[in-house]
Amino acid sequence: MEALIPKVPEVIVSLISFLILLVVLGKFAFPPVTKMLDERADKIRESLEKAEDTRVEAERLLEEYRVQMAEARGEAAKVIEQGRTIAESMKSEIVAKAKEEAEAEKVKAIEAIKSERAAAMAELQKQVADLSVDVAGKIIGTSLKKEDHAALIERYVAEVGSLNEN
Amino acid sequence: MDKIGEGVEHLLHELSVLSINGHEVPSSGFVLTNYGFFLIIASLVTLTFFVLGARRVKLRPDSRYGSLVEAGVEFVRDNLIGDIMGKAGQKYLTFVGTVFFFVLFNNLIGLIPGSKPGTGTMGTTVTWALVVFVTYHAIGIKKHGFFGYLKHYWPKGVWAPLAAFVALLEVISDFIRPLTLSVRLFANMYAGHIMLGIFSIFAALMFEASGVMKVVAILPIALQVALYALELFVAVIQAYIFAVLTAVYINGALGSH
Repeated sequence: MEALIPKVPEVIVSLISFLILLVVLGKFAFPPVTKMLDERADKIRESLEKAEDTRVEAERLLEEYRVQMAEARGEAAKVIEQGRTIAESMKSEIVAKAKEEAEAEKVKAIEAIKSERAAAMAELQKQVADLSVDVAGKIIGTSLKKEDHAALIERYVAEVGSLNEN
Repeated sequence: MDKIGEGVEHLLHELSVLSINGHEVPSSGFVLTNYGFFLIIASLVTLTFFVLGARRVKLRPDSRYGSLVEAGVEFVRDNLIGDIMGKAGQKYLTFVGTVFFFVLFNNLIGLIPGSKPGTGTMGTTVTWALVVFVTYHAIGIKKHGFFGYLKHYWPKGVWAPLAAFVALLEVISDFIRPLTLSVRLFANMYAGHIMLGIFSIFAALMFEASGVMKVVAILPIALQVALYALELFVAVIQAYIFAVLTAVYINGALGSH
């Protein structure tokens, strides 16, 4: 039972120790720690909210980009299609023009060949005539005897006469 | 058997309140007692632990020590105060926290062989129980005014003589609180140390004996280890109970009309 009777010196020591602890811990230990805990809780909450906002914003941007991307794709397809059409029409135009030119060229060539041929024929005829005259001349000059000469004249006269008859 | 008797007598002498140099405590004048000495050590350890630890608590945790201090404070804030008093109780964090950790550190330091728990003597536990008693009444009176606070002993809507009887019981039970609070803590710590002491005596005596008894000594030693674990648990639980009751009493004083 003696142990149950409090000793005065222990009351003093434990009371003073408790009060000192209460004051010191109340100033330097608990408030800074709880303040930090609250700050951290706030910070975490803020960060989470911020992260949520950022996520929403990112999703919005992504959606926007998707739309833009689809638009751009459509635009590009249109441009390519237009290009193709233009190229097609240019191609057929060029081919047509080329054909036309080739035809013209051909016609010109044929014309040229024709006139060349005509010229050549004319030349040839002329040369043949000259040659015949020459040949004729030579023949006449050398072998035209008196009788031949007379016969020729006669024939000529006869021809002229027959011309006159006509 | 004489040896056991001697051993127990020695143990009880060791566990009794003596001055630091082993003499009886004089009835007047101040001496530092054996329990008082360890109580001061526990005070210094508690102070150092928390004052240094509070500096390690950063917004971004970067030390285990800091996290430990944080966990301790958080436990008091959320589990001791939050669960009992809610948000309104947060301003009593320092008081309840000091009670909890001071009791806890005393109990734990008392488990170091050769030391004593500052809470293993009635001088300490009665003092703290009275501090708690005065504090929660002061809080109640501050909130409701002296007479407003007194009214909470008187049950409403009850036949007056019965109400008076209930009020009497309430007052008595209220005044018994410091006694139960102090005796519970003291008895647990004191009894724990007596148990540990007695098993040490058994082990020592068996070891001194000859033959088979030396081997049998393993039993009390094994029990001693188990008891030590139990005492560690008791040390924490008793600190928790002391602090929980403190919070409950404060809450009762706040809520009464």
